[in-house]
Amino acid sequence: MPFDEIDRRRFLLLAAAPLLVAQKAVAPRARESMLQMNGYAVNAETPLALLTEYVTPNELFFVRSHWIPRTPNPKKWRLTIDGEVDRSGDITLSELKKLPHAEATCVLQCAGNGRGLYSPPLPGVQWRYGAVGNSRWTGVRVRDVLEHAGVKPSAKHLHVFGSDDPPGKVPPFHRSVELEKVLADGILAFAMNGEPLPVAHGAPLRLIVPGWAGDHWMKWLVRLSPQAEAQKGFYMETAYRYPLTPGAPGVAFKPEEMAPVTELFVKSNITTAPAKARAKHACEIRGFAFSGAPDIAKVEISDDDGATWQETSLDPRHDPYAWRLWSHHWTPSRSGTVRLCARATDSRGNVQPREATWNQSGYLQNSWHFVDVEVTA
Amino acid sequence: MKRAAIIVLALAAAFASAATKRSVAFDPNLPVLGTKFHSLPAGTGKQQVEASCFPCHSADMLVQQRLTEKQWTAEVDKMIRWGAVMKESDKPAAVAYLVKNFGPANKFTPVRTRPAGY
Ligand code: HEC
Repeated sequence: MPFDEIDRRRFLLLAAAPLLVAQKAVAPRARESMLQMNGYAVNAETPLALLTEYVTPNELFFVRSHWIPRTPNPKKWRLTIDGEVDRSGDITLSELKKLPHAEATCVLQCAGNGRGLYSPPLPGVQWRYGAVGNSRWTGVRVRDVLEHAGVKPSAKHLHVFGSDDPPGKVPPFHRSVELEKVLADGILAFAMNGEPLPVAHGAPLRLIVPGWAGDHWMKWLVRLSPQAEAQKGFYMETAYRYPLTPGAPGVAFKPEEMAPVTELFVKSNITTAPAKARAKHACEIRGFAFSGAPDIAKVEISDDDGATWQETSLDPRHDPYAWRLWSHHWTPSRSGTVRLCARATDSRGNVQPREATWNQSGYLQNSWHFVDVEVTA
Repeated sequence: MKRAAIIVLALAAAFASAATKRSVAFDPNLPVLGTKFHSLPAGTGKQQVEASCFPCHSADMLVQQRLTEKQWTAEVDKMIRWGAVMKESDKPAAVAYLVKNFGPANKFTPVRTRPAGY
C-alpha cells in the first residue's frame, strides 16, 4: 500500500475515533509508556529504561513540536527548490523517490535534551534524558536533489522551511544549515526504520543532519532554498544558540556572543542498572553513548565518583553518528548506597565532562549520568 | 478532565481570542498526546492563566517549569508578545499564581502517555 494511503487512513481514524485508536493494539511495553512533556503541541520523551535497543522503535521515539503544526496534505505535497540555483521548481514525492535512495542510521537528539537537569532552572520543555533516539532514516541525498537544481557557487547556507505555521504572533520556525554539512551528509528522509515516516516525525519529508542537534532536522519539509547568508529570525538569532566562550551558571549572553548549536556533545547514559545488588556478585550495567563525532572510542564507568574507571564493552553494531550500546559486568566491592556514573570519549578524543556547561537556553546537557545502586553484603 | 473536552475548551478559547489573526494552527488530523493532561491546581489566578495560556499549549507546559518571579514575568510578557491575550490588570494575579505553584522548588511528574502518532 502506498504510504499516503496508510497515513490518510490512520489519521482519518485518529480524527474520527480517538478512543478507538487509544485502544489500538500496540506492543504492551509501548502502551502508555512515553513521558508527556506537553499534550498539545506534542512533546514526549522516552523513559531511559526503554532505550536499550540499537534501533529505537518508532513508537518509542521521542517527539518534539514547537506548536500544533499544519501538516502537508500528502496528495498535494510538493518540495519547492528556489534561491541560488540554476533551475528552481517543484518536485513531487514520486519524482523524489526515483532518485537513488540513501540511508543513515544515526542519533537524533533534541538540542534541549537534559534542560530539566540544569541548575539554576531555565524556561522551556524540561526534558530530562529521553529526548534522544537512534533510527534508520531512508530517503535521498540532499546533494542529489540540489545537483538537479544546480546550486550556484554563491550559496553557502541551505534555508529550510516546513509547512507548520505558528499560532498567533509566534515567530516562524525558519532555519538554515551550512550547505557544506548537508551536501556531505544530509538526507531527505521519507522513511523511518523501514516504515513510512510518521506524521509526528515530519511526513512526508524530513531533513536528516547526522551528528547535529534536532533543531536542524526540519520536519514537514516544503521548501529548500540555497542562499549566500544564513537564515534570520527568532529561531536563528535568539533561540538555538550556544555561548562562544561559556560563562558561569546563571550568566546570560547577548546573541552575538553565541553561535548556532550544531554538533552534538559527547554523552553517555545508563539505561540498565539494578536497583539492588549484592557485594562481590557481578551484575550487568548497560547504556548508550553518542557524539557529534562519527563514533565513540570508549565508555567507562566509575563507582567511586570518578576516582577510578572501568572500561565497558562496546557493542559491535555501529554506523557513522549512530550511538554505541555498551555493557559492563560490574562487581560491587562494598555494601551501602553505591553511586555509579558513566563517561564517554568520542573518536575525536572529546571526553564527557562531569558537569555540562550551563547555558541560558539549556542546550546540549551532557554531564556524567549518576545512578544509585543499593548494595547489600 | 477528559481529553476531548479539553480540546474543545482549548479550541473555543482559541477562536474566542480576536487579538490574534489566526489563533491556533490546529491540525485536527494530528494526534494530541495522552488520554489526559496535567491540570492546574486551584487558586487565585488560575482562571486567568487557563484562559490566556491554554489556546497554544496544555497545562503540562506550565506545571513542569521551575521559575523565579523574574523569569515568570518575562515568560508571560514573551507570550503576550507572541499572541497570548491577557488584560494588563490580570497579569499580577497570573504571575503570582505561576510563581506560587511553579517556582524553583517545583517537582514535576509527567503524565504517562501512549506513543505519539500510534
Ligand atoms: C499564541 C500561542 C501561545 C499562547 C497563547 C501562550 N503560549 Fe506559551 N508558548 C508558545 C510557543 C509557540 C512556545 C514555544 C514552544 C516550544 O518551542 O516548545 C511557548 C512556550 C512556553 C513556555 C516554555 C518556555 C519558552 O519560552 O519557550 C512557557 C513557560 C510558556 N509558553 C508559558 C505560557 C504562559 C504562562 C502563557 C499564558 C500567559 C502562554 N505560554 C501562552 C505559544 C503560546
